[in-house]
Amino acid sequence: MDFLIKTLGAIATIIVAFIVGMLYMGINRKITARVQNRVGPPVWQNYIDALKLVSKKTSVHHGVMQHLAPAFLMISSMGTLLFIPILRGQSWFPNLSYHGDLIFILYFMVLGSLGMALGAGQTGNPNAAIGITRGLSQMVGFEIPWVMALVAMMIQYHTTSISDLMAIQQQHGWLMFQNPLAFLAAILAMLGMFRYSPFDIVGAPAELASGPISEFGGKYLGLMMSSGSIFAFTKLTLYVDLFMGGASNIVVLLIETFTLYLIPMLYGLVSPRYRTEQAIRYFWGWPTVLGLAALVYSVVI
Amino acid sequence: MINDKNSQKIVDIIQNFARKHSLFVLAYGTGCGAIEIPPTMTSRYDAERFGIRGAATPRQADVLLITGYLTTKTVKRVIRVYEQMQDPKYVIGFGSCTINGGMYWDSYNTIKVLDRYLPVDIYINGCMPRPEAVIEGFIKLQKKIMEGRAEGAKHYKENLEWYRANQKKVLGPTTPHIQEYNW
Amino acid sequence: MNIIHITLGILLGGAILTYFANKISGVVRDLMFISTIVVAAALFFIKMTPDTVAVFNLGGITLSLGMNHLGLLFSIIILGLAVLAGFYSLPYMKGKDNLGFFYMNYLLSIFGMMGIVMSKDLVSFFIFWEIMTWSSYLIVVYNGNKANKIGIKYILFSALGAYSMLMAIVMVYSQLHSFSIADLSAGFTTMPASYQITIALLLITGFAVKAAMMPLHVWAPDAYSNAPMSYTAMFSGALSKMGVYGLVIVFVTMVSHLPQNFWVRETIAWLGAITAGMATIYAIFQDDAKKLLAYSSVAQLGYIITGVAIGTEISMIAALMLSIVHGMFKANFFMVVGAVERQAGTTDLTVLTGLIRKMPWTFFSALMSAIALAGIPPLVGYVGKWMLYESLISNGNYILVIVIFFASTAGFLYVFKILYSIFLGQEEPEFENVKEAPALMVIPMVIIALLLGFFGAFPGYLLKYIDNALVVMGYPVSQGKWWEMTTLFNAWGNKVSTDLIMYTTITVFVTIAIVLFYRWKNGRYVSTKDISLSGEMPKEDENYSFKLDFYKPFERAISPLLRYKISKYYNEFADGMEAFFDWTRRIYNGNAQTYAIYVITFLVILLLIANNIFTV
Repeated sequence: MDFLIKTLGAIATIIVAFIVGMLYMGINRKITARVQNRVGPPVWQNYIDALKLVSKKTSVHHGVMQHLAPAFLMISSMGTLLFIPILRGQSWFPNLSYHGDLIFILYFMVLGSLGMALGAGQTGNPNAAIGITRGLSQMVGFEIPWVMALVAMMIQYHTTSISDLMAIQQQHGWLMFQNPLAFLAAILAMLGMFRYSPFDIVGAPAELASGPISEFGGKYLGLMMSSGSIFAFTKLTLYVDLFMGGASNIVVLLIETFTLYLIPMLYGLVSPRYRTEQAIRYFWGWPTVLGLAALVYSVVI
Repeated sequence: MINDKNSQKIVDIIQNFARKHSLFVLAYGTGCGAIEIPPTMTSRYDAERFGIRGAATPRQADVLLITGYLTTKTVKRVIRVYEQMQDPKYVIGFGSCTINGGMYWDSYNTIKVLDRYLPVDIYINGCMPRPEAVIEGFIKLQKKIMEGRAEGAKHYKENLEWYRANQKKVLGPTTPHIQEYNW
Repeated sequence: MNIIHITLGILLGGAILTYFANKISGVVRDLMFISTIVVAAALFFIKMTPDTVAVFNLGGITLSLGMNHLGLLFSIIILGLAVLAGFYSLPYMKGKDNLGFFYMNYLLSIFGMMGIVMSKDLVSFFIFWEIMTWSSYLIVVYNGNKANKIGIKYILFSALGAYSMLMAIVMVYSQLHSFSIADLSAGFTTMPASYQITIALLLITGFAVKAAMMPLHVWAPDAYSNAPMSYTAMFSGALSKMGVYGLVIVFVTMVSHLPQNFWVRETIAWLGAITAGMATIYAIFQDDAKKLLAYSSVAQLGYIITGVAIGTEISMIAALMLSIVHGMFKANFFMVVGAVERQAGTTDLTVLTGLIRKMPWTFFSALMSAIALAGIPPLVGYVGKWMLYESLISNGNYILVIVIFFASTAGFLYVFKILYSIFLGQEEPEFENVKEAPALMVIPMVIIALLLGFFGAFPGYLLKYIDNALVVMGYPVSQGKWWEMTTLFNAWGNKVSTDLIMYTTITVFVTIAIVLFYRWKNGRYVSTKDISLSGEMPKEDENYSFKLDFYKPFERAISPLLRYKISKYYNEFADGMEAFFDWTRRIYNGNAQTYAIYVITFLVILLLIANNIFTV
């Protein structure tokens, strides 16, 4: 019985994440259009796109790694989602959240990128390989301030578990006010994590022809789009859990995640694109200084 | 139950609806007509409100938009790009040059009638057509898709030999690299 | 006559017999070699019980050997890898010259390693250590003239390590009048503090050479990449762990008893972390698969050294766990590269391309090793990394954890590079006739790959042995406190359930794979020449794979760091020494009168000093 509820809860979580993530992407397109003084597509445009992509009649692949690349991507998006507490104090949504901690999640989030990288590598398209080397380099860039922010919180509260951090925030208030430096470092790292401008060096349609996904079409692209939207929701929920104390119901969760989502989106709208080394140096500049400051702050506190 | 004729009809309607409202366009900027694409896509005319957006590679694209004349060198690439697209796929011929050669009608190195080499679903005439006309053309294509009549790819598949013969005729001995058709 | 005599006797006898069997025929030699390893390993694992002791009398010297749980843990690495790499070695080395010599040294180095982990006194430890060093040196130079210079580098550093070790042993004897390791750990606190710190530092230097710690690592990349790959699997997987074994003993029995805080732990931990970071960066820019893996080995050993140096209970578990797992996946990776070298004829990453369809099983084991190397769950490489981070964070080494994390994240770059360059990318007509490696080479690789997955879900099977070893070293029982069969705990009581992670991963992966395989016939395989690149059509002999300057943007971003290369300083030091000795040659100018002046000057100085001394 317990197992059944857990399984249903997991499926419900994934469906909610898919719907919300897709909606956010749609709102992103709408807001982008409004900023550019356009009407823009309807907010449900992304659902239509995904439906069209999976109902394509044919799909070509260059081998088994490309064929399985969406499955690898889904491991890190769905899997990570299942190990993060979605709502506070709900019996349906904690899923597996007591069975993994922050350091585990840091590494688990990478598995999909690696599988995706191998799938894109197998296509033999040079654009794909170039995009991947850029993406991996950028990841080394933004992981440094991101880990610094997380370590700062871990040593401040002597826990590495997300649910413990959420419980602590119930008593002491949101962590974004308790350790604002860590929050700032994490937010700056999030800009790189979401890969919107100015850090969209991986996909860069104008120079790399969408980079790693340039050989993926039809159902592969559809699944990757779904995975991307689930992953976006996962990351936003992780941020809400860590810095905003988690949400007690779904409405609060939506408001908080959307507010966070606005940051990379609006920052991207007014930014051109960095070169790779500029992006890496950006992350190793002020975000890392902020991260170090957050570490010092946590030790002193 | 899935293979039932009525349920297949419903599935078709849903799929056609999705295809109609989500057109990823690979704008093949061959001729001068390519200059009309940026205003069509950007703020002034905003084609994205109809679900039309650019695609970066043929693997992701639904519509191949051929903007203007095609030289014999270009047509080789265009054919390859078309064959790399995933089914269902549509071709829009843009400007008079794709219809009858336009001002290049007696040129020695351009093709005149695009329909002899690729199955064109919609022509947009004019030299050059304004963005309004381009959007009009897209809407026509959407209507055709919804009615299930945009079957250019099927036609190409069925008459592959005829198309291949035409292509060979114009490309001459430079055709060896056209690989097999990617269904 | 007990199992220790028998194991060592079989290994030594097998080594000599293999050498002479080579004179009879190649088949006899191969059979001799492999049966020696298999029989020794089988007898060892069936019969060996901890607390067995044995005594050898060699003339006037008595060597006392014995087995405890720590030794048992390391002998699992040694003999397990020896069996797998031994089978792998047969087809890999087929047709090469001088194989009797190679296999003899192979067995001798196993003999040396087994002797080390069973030594109970410092003399036998040193003897076996030298046997191991020399046999591995002979294998490093096995590849001929090109390797001689590399071999000199290796033997120079090993000699440096051996001399400092010998000096430490002499100092121990002068203080305690005993060579026994048990006496040393018991009597260490009775020594003067200056002796304590000197002995500890000398021993650490000796072991750090083998474990390739930062200023002493210069020999490692060349030596690893120039030995035959079937031996490098042992070299990097097991032989380097002897340095770790020594460091564990030094840190547990000596450094933890140092009366004052000499910053030994902090220094070594930081050196380990810097080793990890710098070696990772060098690995990223290597264009040869062997070199890349060699630098990667140095980096991974850096994590282990850090874990040993921190020396808390969980970091010790982490270090030992990483030792075992590194032995598994790095041996596997070197075997993969060896298989590729044998089948495709090169290990140059800019030349190799698109072998995945030709060598699928090799790719599978490379992929599993890569995931384990990167420390990504659900494979077992993750367990050790997780424990290391937890120990560093809960122990207060906050900056250290950032450095290690940087090294680990940057590790993804070279992991992807080696997988992509060898197996992925466009296929090349040059490699059209490449076949999968022979079964004897593939099976050991696949076994290790599957074990990596199994221990990822049930790390308890490995942690059990580590726990026993830690108890021997005086740590409390860790089962239940730090780990269960499928759960890991940190200092603050947070946990990770490895089996649930594995099940979730498999469930999601299989579900999506089923979705992908649904309507399989609508999908179609196209060759890697059929790519959408501006409507271009690559000709048969054209290859568009991205190979050169693979991480150029990253290189530009970290270019300030790349200016510091340790080997540069060694080279400058060597040049300086050469110039100095060149200068000293002027003293010997061949003129008898000059020599007479030297003698007289020397005598005068001596008299002056003597007068001074005796009058005072």
